[in-house]
Amino acid sequence: MVVKEFRELRRDRRTVAMIVFMPLLLLVIFGYAANFSVDSVTTAVVGPQADQVAGMLPDFFDVTTTDTALTEADAHDMVQRRDVDVAFLADGTPVTVLVDGSNLFAAQATVSVLNKMGDQVTADVLFNPDLETSWVMIPAIIGLILTFIGTIVTSIGLVRERTAGTLEQLAVMPIRASTVILGKIAPYFLLAAFDMTLVTVLGVWLFGVPFNGNVAVFALGAAIFLFVVLGLGVFISTISQNAGQAIQVAFMLMLPQILLSGMIFPLDAMAAGVRWIAYGLPLTYFTMISQGVMLRGAPIDSLWLPLGALTVMALLIFTGAVLRFRRDLAPSRRRGHAHGEHVEAATR
Amino acid sequence: MTPALLETRGFSHRFGTLLAVDDVTMHVEPGEVVGLLGANGAGKTTLIRALLGLVGSPDGQVRLLGGPPSRQARMRVGYVPQGMGLYDDLTVAENLEFTARAYRARVPQLPPDLAEHSGTLVGSLALGSQRRLAFVCALLHDPEVLVLDEPTSGVDPLARARLWDTVRERAEAGVGVLITTHYMQEAQQCDRLLLMAGGRLVGSGSEEDVVGGTTAVEVRTERWADAFAALEPTGAAVTLSGRSVRVADGDEATLRAVLAQAGVPAELVSVPATIEERMAVLAKDAVR
Repeated sequence: MVVKEFRELRRDRRTVAMIVFMPLLLLVIFGYAANFSVDSVTTAVVGPQADQVAGMLPDFFDVTTTDTALTEADAHDMVQRRDVDVAFLADGTPVTVLVDGSNLFAAQATVSVLNKMGDQVTADVLFNPDLETSWVMIPAIIGLILTFIGTIVTSIGLVRERTAGTLEQLAVMPIRASTVILGKIAPYFLLAAFDMTLVTVLGVWLFGVPFNGNVAVFALGAAIFLFVVLGLGVFISTISQNAGQAIQVAFMLMLPQILLSGMIFPLDAMAAGVRWIAYGLPLTYFTMISQGVMLRGAPIDSLWLPLGALTVMALLIFTGAVLRFRRDLAPSRRRGHAHGEHVEAATR
Repeated sequence: MTPALLETRGFSHRFGTLLAVDDVTMHVEPGEVVGLLGANGAGKTTLIRALLGLVGSPDGQVRLLGGPPSRQARMRVGYVPQGMGLYDDLTVAENLEFTARAYRARVPQLPPDLAEHSGTLVGSLALGSQRRLAFVCALLHDPEVLVLDEPTSGVDPLARARLWDTVRERAEAGVGVLITTHYMQEAQQCDRLLLMAGGRLVGSGSEEDVVGGTTAVEVRTERWADAFAALEPTGAAVTLSGRSVRVADGDEATLRAVLAQAGVPAELVSVPATIEERMAVLAKDAVR
């Protein structure tokens, strides 16, 4: 029995990959990424006494901007756009410090450092004044739900079509491959959109999470992100023979996203190498968009990086996955040469 | 001249290094029921998939209804795959409606035995009823060609007879039928047979054409188990038929010597070969 089990395992490459990959992943994550303490925050110092104040700040504040001409409105704008985590308004005593509350762990660390600085400074936590964990988590959870539906549910639904033999029947039916793909994916897109709306509304209603930004920007980000995760789901279905395999692969793709997207551990606190992995994950960018729009009311131009990254991912992953899926439905048109005539022997 | 409904000329197809179908030339005419026979892995399903345009870049010529197997041509084909292609989580009526919409056809009346289950999920239906439904779905758009991949597998004899009645009715109406089966009684109902082995077409024609004047050797003995045990290692195509042993490709003198050496007394009689025996011999020859 034991020998049989090992023989089976040896031939099940995905399980072997999971057995090898998972401990390594967890080791890397908990060794390099599992860190809640933020050691420094990006900082702007503005106002007439900006130069003096900037020179007095402890190393925790990584001063990236010092400008005596900028005003409080500019400082607020910089924090809202997440150009910096913290902005000092050096226009008198005490110095007002604007802190980005949507970056929870950085904000908590900042408030702690500011408290030690005494009466010289006054902290003004923006976007999440009580530093509520739920306010930061719920926008990220929305992305997680979209990932779950897009990746796991979609891949299982498509693989079921293959295992039941109905995919072949669909290929024979006079339905265009594009229509089949659209018909298969649209319900999951709509389901995910429904779930996203439900969770967003419940988050706002039950947990008081603010929705300060533009709904259209949020919807745009969610739609692009959905194409990425649906693409992943379609791709998984093309490399899986059954639902078990699909779940296995989807799980291996989801776990790093949950742990490294900044949803649990702050990106700022991760080791540089691990942070670069995080920047390769779609959920990282959706979390930036959802937290940015919901909590900070971030305008679309300040979200160009996550929106752009997701768009590139959507184009590559969704297009690639759909082309792979299409191959199963309609073999490519190629020409064979036989008996002195060209013969087209594939679907049109 | 009317073109064949299904036709290949010198069709070959590889999966990696495996030559699944090797230089097959065949055709199915209107009103003809053609049986495609062969062991598992003989290349039958690949040939069917190519005829339906589901195999990319085939070598040779593949024609469906006189042209390349395009989406338009498939509108005129009824197909029952081995797995039936039905949705287990949809009801009988819902499956039928989906297929009808796909073919832009009217939803047909269900036969009485299926009509009483119209609200039942297909996954809960008996296998025979599922096969019946797959047939109804394949026929609802009045196809000119029927391609049936083991359509009666796992079906009881009565249901099988009913399905064959339907096939015959359609053939009489001019529909060309290509059918794969493992049941030799069904093969005998075909107008013409195509025998495949090792990816090659190793025989074709009526049952008489395929079997020809070939004979087998029937070994009659009380000690049939010993006879079987002695003959099988010779590599001959040995089968048990009741309590007598049959050898499809044996030389009578050699068999007699083997049995004598094993100490098995037996009477050896030359008898007309069955189609299974002919297939076994052709399959062995194809592998050599």
